[in-house]
Amino acid sequence: MIITGSVIMVMPGTSQSVEKELLAFPQVTLQGKSDSGMDMIVNIEADDHNELESLCQKIKDTIPAIVDIGHIYINFEDEIEKIQARTWQDYYAPNE
Amino acid sequence: MNLTRREMIKLSAAGFAAAALNISLPGKSSGDDGIVVDKWIKGTCRFCGTGCGIYAGIRNGQLVGIRGNPKAATNFGFLCVKGFKGYVSMYHPDRLKYPMVRGEDDKFHRASWDDALNKVVNKFKELHQNFGKDSVAFYGSGQCMTEESYTFNKLWKGGFRSNMVEGNPRLCMASAVGGYITTFGADEPGGSYADIEKARTLFIVGSNMAECHPILFRRVARHKIQNPEKVNIIVCEPRLTPTARIADVWLPADPGTDLAVFHCMARELIKNNWTDSWYIENLCRFSTGAKVVDFKAYEQFLEQFTPEAVEKITRCPAANIKEAARLFGSQGPTMSLWTMGLNQRTRGVWANNLIHNLHLISGNICKEGADSFSITGQPNACGGVRETGSLCQLLPGTRSITDATARADVEKSWKIPPGAIDPKPGFHTMEMFAKLGAEDDTSKPLKAMLVSTTNPAQSLPNAPKYYKGMKDAFLVVLDIFPTRTTQLADVILPAAFIYEKGGVYGCSERRSQLTQKCVEPPGEAKADLWIAAQIAKRMGLEKLIPWNGDDAPTSYKMAWDDYRECVKLTEHTLYGITYDRLKQMEEGLQWPCPNENSPGTSRRYVRGYDPLMNMAAIVKVPSNALIYFYGDKQHEGKANVFLRPYKGAEEPPDKDYPFFLTTGRVIEQWHSGTMTMRVPEIARSKPNAYMEISPSDAKEYGIKEGDMVKITSRRGFNILPARVVKNSLPGILFVPWFDQTWDRMINRVTIDAFDAGSKQPEFKICAVKIERIGDPKDVADSYVISDVNAPFPIKI
Ligand code: SF4
Repeated sequence: MIITGSVIMVMPGTSQSVEKELLAFPQVTLQGKSDSGMDMIVNIEADDHNELESLCQKIKDTIPAIVDIGHIYINFEDEIEKIQARTWQDYYAPNE
Repeated sequence: MNLTRREMIKLSAAGFAAAALNISLPGKSSGDDGIVVDKWIKGTCRFCGTGCGIYAGIRNGQLVGIRGNPKAATNFGFLCVKGFKGYVSMYHPDRLKYPMVRGEDDKFHRASWDDALNKVVNKFKELHQNFGKDSVAFYGSGQCMTEESYTFNKLWKGGFRSNMVEGNPRLCMASAVGGYITTFGADEPGGSYADIEKARTLFIVGSNMAECHPILFRRVARHKIQNPEKVNIIVCEPRLTPTARIADVWLPADPGTDLAVFHCMARELIKNNWTDSWYIENLCRFSTGAKVVDFKAYEQFLEQFTPEAVEKITRCPAANIKEAARLFGSQGPTMSLWTMGLNQRTRGVWANNLIHNLHLISGNICKEGADSFSITGQPNACGGVRETGSLCQLLPGTRSITDATARADVEKSWKIPPGAIDPKPGFHTMEMFAKLGAEDDTSKPLKAMLVSTTNPAQSLPNAPKYYKGMKDAFLVVLDIFPTRTTQLADVILPAAFIYEKGGVYGCSERRSQLTQKCVEPPGEAKADLWIAAQIAKRMGLEKLIPWNGDDAPTSYKMAWDDYRECVKLTEHTLYGITYDRLKQMEEGLQWPCPNENSPGTSRRYVRGYDPLMNMAAIVKVPSNALIYFYGDKQHEGKANVFLRPYKGAEEPPDKDYPFFLTTGRVIEQWHSGTMTMRVPEIARSKPNAYMEISPSDAKEYGIKEGDMVKITSRRGFNILPARVVKNSLPGILFVPWFDQTWDRMINRVTIDAFDAGSKQPEFKICAVKIERIGDPKDVADSYVISDVNAPFPIKI
């Protein structure tokens, strides 16, 4: 499980509608926004980084008023434990 | 993870994001950092030259998370995927943990540090004795910490008295250095990243910022989005990259032809009176390179570069060039930003000169939002290699080794006898590798090389040409993972990752930032500085390099202080940038910074900003000069506007090899993939290299998406899948260079021709032919060399 602290940048004047549309994404928690409404502070939760990337893309595709989603913080401490337990044979197939 | 902890992490994460944008989250605690991690330690990202500030989260002695530093002046808290995830590679099981020495069975065997270091030192001593001081070379990296580059440079030039010192910035930044020095008399840009948000027009040239410097691109894109009518973006780049897609004007010139575009823009600026006569009269000297001429001669020279004539040479539409010139000259302030597309060329220095020309004649320099700004590719190419002078022709402070005064100054600082430093430059990178070889090969004067934190067996252009030399010579490699280069080594010394040792990085905008040590290195891996100092000690040079203790932070601080002292009275002074200040300051400091009261310099050459304008001990500037290029060797405070003749690529396409091949990075991967390919998410998203081809070319050659193709140059070939993309002009192919798989190592194909001035190779352009060789094949193997004893793919 990873949890982000992210900024969703939206087109001027669209923050209220974006807020409503974000309700369709339970993985996103709105925590606050700037005075202009253009920057929304959110958490995004995903199982792993790949899922996070595809989720962000889906959000952007679904809500055209979103200009950009930028991450300031990603917590993935559980992942480190998983990674340390791996050996290279777990996920690489050398071809030479 | 229980709910409370999860909620706390969410609040902390949101708090960091809010702090980055200076937004308060009413009624919410920003979370208690102590619950998420034991502590946060300040540092920088090591995956590109942007210099993003980070905080590393430590829990139970392990690095468990990275967050952006909201107070960092480079990134304001934002990070890209490499910044967040790249460090994960440091926990990969492939880490080199013990010194390894190649045995008589040609296999690596674990050795003690004493044995490995003694082997290195004894061999270096023997070679020095038998073949002279210049028989052993150092090849470093723009990823070494500044203290490390400085120490190796001091050991070689001051200790061994040899200038056989190079680094991989020769492959990425040398033309920018050459451009700044020939135009302004001094290296590195005058302005800062902060000019991005002050500029009205941004001219992005030969840079796919969106993928290679994503956080800087975020600043550019955000500025444009917030001011869509006021801010203009011009992108000059043969592919319609993600960067070019935000452009108001795209200048799609064929690779290597853009000198003509820049001259044409200059012609347009003059014809339409978008020039600044005060700048032209007071700050410009017009030069052919051989002689000084007047403005009229420059104007006449430019006459050949009409938009229509240039369109014929470059395929770049004349109307686009005219519009770009209009925006550049009349919608300023204008800032140019560029990277490898301009530098990695046989005419890289000239291309840099011509961008500077545009800024000088239009008065778009030394003002808010106006600068001619080269972005560096690696995190410490500027701070570590350029500024410490760790190239064959330089001394610390980017001073020339041929300058007797500079040599005397450095000899005094290093407390070595006058005349100890050899005035003759050593070999530049390509010459070094060409002249590296066996002891019994009289044509190869270099017999040994110590390579630190870089992978030349994959990153050199036309790499296979140089394998025999690397294999035959005594090759010592410091690194954290097995690479193509360790496969050719005799001794491998396991090094520490940035967060396992700490040290200073200096990014593109002359900003030094300190990373503090966060965790211990794995196994017996050691900080690179310790390795350098131990070699020095064992070679009897402990007095020169006394920082050989086991406590990394103490040793790095000692090296930094020695470096500060050495460059105290230079144009690059960072004497005021102490470890104590760097620990306290969230955003680091920009040089020139001559004393501990100096706030650093955001804009060079301008009175009121640059403290050197009033420091006669370092540079002489007339008291009435507001702007003065004090690096000018003629002591007139002027910059050179060059009348460089047009010249295209070294190897343009022809009937046998009809395509341009250009190479580069992608957003997820870094350089030769050594680290990033070991981050599972990154490896999954970009598991292999591929060849991008335009739909019309694909059709002509019967190539469909995913088909396997053979791409061949006069030097070698690759076999890799095709990607049919609409983003490049027909005739131009692109292959990223991160893949370690032999079939897809594109530097088997690239050309090793180099710029006569900067000696930087033309990675970006060579001629190739292609053929479809089969249906799609799954090659998404995320290949990395995991075993130091894995056989090299070809017999050498
Ligand atoms: S932009 Fe560069 S320095 Fe910043 S996080 Fe990404 S890789 Fe690191």
